[in-house]
Amino acid sequence: MEDGELVKQVLSGNNNAFRFLVSKYQRLVLHVVGRIIRQQDEMEDTCQEVFIKVFRRLKNFRGDSKLSTWIATIAYNTAITAVRKKNRRGELSYNETPALVELEKNNETEHKVLEHNEIRKYLLQLIESMPVNYRTVITLYHLEEFSYKEIVEITGMPEGTVKSYLNRARAMLKGKIEKLARLEQNNIFEDHVG
Amino acid sequence: MLDEEKYMDSDALVDQVLKQAPAYSLPADFATMVAVNVGRRFAWQQYIREFLIYLAAIIGIVVLSVGMALIWYDNDLKYWLDFLISNLDWIAGINLLVVFVLFTDRVLLRYFLYRSALKGRDK
Repeated sequence: MEDGELVKQVLSGNNNAFRFLVSKYQRLVLHVVGRIIRQQDEMEDTCQEVFIKVFRRLKNFRGDSKLSTWIATIAYNTAITAVRKKNRRGELSYNETPALVELEKNNETEHKVLEHNEIRKYLLQLIESMPVNYRTVITLYHLEEFSYKEIVEITGMPEGTVKSYLNRARAMLKGKIEKLARLEQNNIFEDHVG
Repeated sequence: MLDEEKYMDSDALVDQVLKQAPAYSLPADFATMVAVNVGRRFAWQQYIREFLIYLAAIIGIVVLSVGMALIWYDNDLKYWLDFLISNLDWIAGINLLVVFVLFTDRVLLRYFLYRSALKGRDK
């Protein structure tokens, strides 16, 4: 079903159409909310809140942007508000904005030679530990394949900032892989000498 | 031997990792759960809205009738005010009863019927 038709059906009170809309966009909402909130129980509640807002505001959707962009904007704002609320109450168990420089430092994992799958897992962990803005931009651009313009619309960040976050995150991940490669070479050299 | 291929194409590996979906998940019946919750919440709001519209319409009709009676049929305003004040308890009681019946009919009954229909569908 086309998005325009879907919106019309939901607005006319078709509950099945709304259920279809939720199942169509729940992956997008989960990725946006999940990359910001990261706690399973909170994530589910926030995703539900997002869809309640979508339902309530759907009559204001004029179709200027894609429905996915509009829903992602609501998801992003809802998740950010939830995180800020928790921050204010001091309930947040993780640091929302760790400096990227910290992540760029060497850590224990790099001292071991890693298998291909382990490298992937390690890089995924690195993504998860990036500051919230980086995680969001990465998710929107690479995972959900939104354009720069759409990301600007969703997050309200300037286009230059979005590009800079993407480049820095990519450079950091690439740097880590290359560091691991160098480390492995050194280990092997030491084995030969030994 | 050096496993060169493992790190050969770091760009491709970064691409793969960036495109990999995180391991978050929602319950399998999430869409149904949300649709039911939203339906219930908005049914309640809808019923309240309809009740208020009915109430406003009834009050409007009463006000209009009183206005017509006073202006066109030249009724005595003082007589009616005295009647209202002397029977205030009864009039207030009857009005409250009417509002309660209307609320029960337009909101409570419909909401409970909606909920029991939902429960019946789930079984």
